Amino acid sequence: MMRGWGIRVVTYLGAVLLAMFILAPLAWVFLSSVLPEASILSFPPDWFQYGFMDANYKYIFTGEIPRGAIATATLRTMISQEVRLVPRTILNSFIVASVVMLINCLIGSLAAYAFARLRFAGKTPVFFFITLSRLIPTVALAIPYYLIVQRSGLIDTYWALIIIYSVLTLPFTLLILTLYFRGIPEEIEEAAQLDGCSPFQTLVRVTIPLALPSLIGTGLFAFMLSYSEFLFGLLITQSIKTRTLPVILAAVSWNPDVTWGLTSASITIGLIPTLLLVVPVWRYMVKGLVAGGVY
Amino acid sequence: MVATVKGGIKRLTGSLAFSGYWMIAPVVLLVAAFTLYPYAYALWTSFRVASPLLPPAFAGLKNYKAVISSIYFVRAVRNTLIFAACSVPITVILGLLTASLLNRRFFGDIVLKALVLLPWTMPIAVSGVIWRGFFNSGWGAFNALLYMAGLIPKYIGWLTEPKLAMVAVVTAQIWTQFPFATVLILAAMQAIPQELYEAAAIDGAGLLQRFFYITLPGIRAMLAIVVIFETLMGLTTFDLTHALTQGGPGTSTTLISYYTYSESFKMLNFGNGSALAVILAVVSLLMILAIMQFIPKGALIGGEK
Repeated sequence: MMRGWGIRVVTYLGAVLLAMFILAPLAWVFLSSVLPEASILSFPPDWFQYGFMDANYKYIFTGEIPRGAIATATLRTMISQEVRLVPRTILNSFIVASVVMLINCLIGSLAAYAFARLRFAGKTPVFFFITLSRLIPTVALAIPYYLIVQRSGLIDTYWALIIIYSVLTLPFTLLILTLYFRGIPEEIEEAAQLDGCSPFQTLVRVTIPLALPSLIGTGLFAFMLSYSEFLFGLLITQSIKTRTLPVILAAVSWNPDVTWGLTSASITIGLIPTLLLVVPVWRYMVKGLVAGGVY
Repeated sequence: MVATVKGGIKRLTGSLAFSGYWMIAPVVLLVAAFTLYPYAYALWTSFRVASPLLPPAFAGLKNYKAVISSIYFVRAVRNTLIFAACSVPITVILGLLTASLLNRRFFGDIVLKALVLLPWTMPIAVSGVIWRGFFNSGWGAFNALLYMAGLIPKYIGWLTEPKLAMVAVVTAQIWTQFPFATVLILAAMQAIPQELYEAAAIDGAGLLQRFFYITLPGIRAMLAIVVIFETLMGLTTFDLTHALTQGGPGTSTTLISYYTYSESFKMLNFGNGSALAVILAVVSLLMILAIMQFIPKGALIGGEK
């Protein structure tokens, strides 16, 4: 009896500590986005002395210069047009990441199925070549990638980002999906083939429906990696036409004309798509991984 | 009529699928094109004088010599080793603990699951910005909270003191990396048949015994994958330090990736930058091959089936 209580106490204590570790920096970002600058800069810290304001968000969406900060602080209010570009970069990142996700699901699942089920010469070396290709740090590939993109005239286009992000995400998709497919018992597929299905039909009619959660999970994973990529976004996007969210947020954060309040409001807006992804990623990624192990 | 068309398609797809090559072709060609050429290019550049300031020429091993004998290289290697040695074990252990926690049923477990995923779904560069705001020496929340709790008499320069800056970078790295470790480990845990635990409980095995004799062997292959992945992340972290410290103060948080970047794009010495990239890649490759020995044979694709 005592033992059961002890475990419960440890469980809840662990849960609370974990939640605090995860939420502390995020809470600070959200709080900073709705506090006047004078409250943030106050010492000794008194964050709530001037109440809350939505001026930072208003500025990003309407261009109306935050008055709250001017009224409450003697500090010069720092402003830059750069933060007003944040909504557009979310759209850019979203488009690129969605196409990468589709490419991963289509050609990644085909290849993973072949690696998991079919017999062909050179299978193991090719598999390890692809999965290990992600090993070289992206910094090392920056110059050659940039030159390839430049020569093919794709600088500042969605396609350059889509191709590079597909190359960066496919090894993971392949690794994870191959594991899933291997977890599906072959008897189910043999039964389908006895009933006259070709290997391709077996994949489309039997295996993919069984592995659908895993497929969605890895697809979302590819989406996230692409939505988050920073270095190539920095090198290849040269205008607001294709600039991605992480690139603009990093630029905003080092821009001396942007206050921490405005930076944090930009971050909060930029993270909304991410927040929407959390639940489906959990549902499909984890359930998919588990399904791969069990079935 | 319909039957013959269907039969034809079936024969066509069946014969094409026979070898499996066409199924892997799109991925293999795409990855190979964007892997072999860039690697070859980096290797070639590493043997050349490649800088906008100097005429291009063959340099032999000069770039490598220059890089290895540089004090900045030695510092970057040392920083990277310290960084990886701190962040990887803590990330894996925290992932293991979190997975064990989430593998239990308790009030609010669904909320905690969603929370744990949060840092992972965020762009790492953005996480770097967020932690920079949190650790800020002048108005950061960490200083303010410690001060309000009476733990520190005055604000601490978390990002301006070299050693503390490393602590900040490691903390942020763990924050961004442990969720994925958790997801993978938890998946492996949930794949362990429940009957094993029931049988062990009947045989009188305690909590720790069940962990060491059932859970740990069950998740061993996945742990190896997690360790590989996290080591790789630790050795190649770029976004985070770029956004959080830009390698500073001084060179205290300049990791090898960031050093490679600044040698290439700040110093514009592509030759040295490529030499660095090749060195880092070879070291990573050796390490990955070493760790792969721990993966059970055939655990990934089951050999030549």
